[in-house]
Amino acid sequence: MTTRGATVEFRDVTKRYARAADASRAVNGLSLTVGAGEICVLVGPSGCGKTTTLKMANRLIEPTSGEILIDGRNVLSGDPVALRRRIGYVIQQVGLFPHRTIAENVATVPELLGWPAARVRDRVGELMELVGLDPSYAGRYPAQLSGGERQRAGVARALAAEPPLMLMDEPFGAVDPIVRERLQDEFLRIHRALGMTVLFVTHDIDEAIKMGDRVAVMRAGALVQYAPPAELLTRPADEFVARFVGADRGLKRLALISCGELTLREPPTARAADTIARGVGFVLLVDGERRPVGWVNRARPELGADPSSPLVTRETRVKDALSALLAAGVATALVVDEDRRLLGTIALDDITHLLAERA
Amino acid sequence: MSADEPLVRWDWIAGHLDEVALRVGEHLLLTVVAVSVGFVIAFAIALASLRWPRAYGPATWAAGILYTIPSLALFALLIPFTGLTLLTAEIGLVGYTLLILLRNIVAGIRAVPADATEAAAGMGYTGAQTLWRVQLPLALPVIVAGIRVATITTIGLVTVTALIGQGGLGYFILLGIQRFFSTPLLLGAFLSVALAIAADALLVLAQRALTPWARAR
Repeated sequence: MTTRGATVEFRDVTKRYARAADASRAVNGLSLTVGAGEICVLVGPSGCGKTTTLKMANRLIEPTSGEILIDGRNVLSGDPVALRRRIGYVIQQVGLFPHRTIAENVATVPELLGWPAARVRDRVGELMELVGLDPSYAGRYPAQLSGGERQRAGVARALAAEPPLMLMDEPFGAVDPIVRERLQDEFLRIHRALGMTVLFVTHDIDEAIKMGDRVAVMRAGALVQYAPPAELLTRPADEFVARFVGADRGLKRLALISCGELTLREPPTARAADTIARGVGFVLLVDGERRPVGWVNRARPELGADPSSPLVTRETRVKDALSALLAAGVATALVVDEDRRLLGTIALDDITHLLAERA
Repeated sequence: MSADEPLVRWDWIAGHLDEVALRVGEHLLLTVVAVSVGFVIAFAIALASLRWPRAYGPATWAAGILYTIPSLALFALLIPFTGLTLLTAEIGLVGYTLLILLRNIVAGIRAVPADATEAAAGMGYTGAQTLWRVQLPLALPVIVAGIRVATITTIGLVTVTALIGQGGLGYFILLGIQRFFSTPLLLGAFLSVALAIAADALLVLAQRALTPWARAR
């Protein structure tokens, strides 16, 4: 079920509108290249032309001038209907057909392409599993699903014919933050498995940073900066981008780094409390499997081990480790492996140094 | 009508069952033809109005004029051209269905959620596929509501066509009035009401069978 991603190239693409009311949706001389298998997020304030840009890729909006190439072929010269059947499309309101069951909705494009019924049926089952929808949902109507479930069905429908390119217009904008986070994580997992190219529109910079391999910041129909998320946060191209990514861009950057990327400290450890010599400082008490028990104060070992340091893994985002430290009110986090065995520690200082050195 | 005459003479009805069946058949046929032809015309005008929205105003205006002409007056106007024929009856009946059908078809299609049609276009439906597979199925409840009103109205109106000799249950009503005989008069009135209720119930059932999704919540 691996899909090869398509390359997408916008060459000096312009869309002008005759009516003044539509002018804010215009796009001016946009050039942008998306590598095969990348997630490119188009982000910007409303009316920056990001949705117009997205819809020009499947010709729901026809550009006034310029070229759009998918895998090197100019899409503006072919048949738009055939083009759209090769491109996955997900919109914020999902757009499931209310009169068709979930299985029928998911089967839309394969049926348009004339797949045999058995193949369509197998594919629908496969897709529902992929997006985490229980098979019992196959016969339900969209109105019988929650917002998050509908969005999963929308993603399944867009993936049905294994498109090398997916266009997603604020796909997770209409669900609550908790569901949105889960859908984002699941979509990233699906993307890792399938490897299709994705053009993703959002107005939410946090979503852009989380989802994008590259982020295209747009303003008034033009591209302001096109860079990987970390670069956007460390070197915003201008004042507009800096303001748009937010004053907390340092903190946001911490969400892009995992604890495993830091140099871990080796704390002094002891297997048993009675082996700890009196003195100054703290010793980490561990059990026979090197699982942390807690910190022992050498000055007053009789107080026992203090277990309040948070546990994190190599995969934990530094931002989350920082939150855990702040919540626990301590200065050191313990990095452990999947069996909870100690790998090292991270101190609050390490995180502040990180901010200073990369800023 | 003499004083000792009962309101309904059941023996008269029993003796005219063949006639009853014939008139019910005529009534149904006049109705079905009128609503069917009306639907085809209204559907064509509705599609044209969706493509050229400016045409919708004049179209409803014209259908509205037809709707307001009293049926007897319309027959009187048509007779010099088409005579006392089935055609005269149907022209009148079809005319009365147009406004209701046109309005409901257009309203039904316009009420289809924009996200569904946008998704359809984005996935590679042609305009015609979007119309037949997405817009019309979703507009069906509103369209059927229009067909129900048109059908009930037509069943009532068909009683008038007996005046131009085209049969239907109006025949009994006319007979009753001419002879001061209450039995056929009541029979004709009762059957036309019963027919309207039955037709409406049938359409409701048909709609429920065709739109299972509309009740899924």
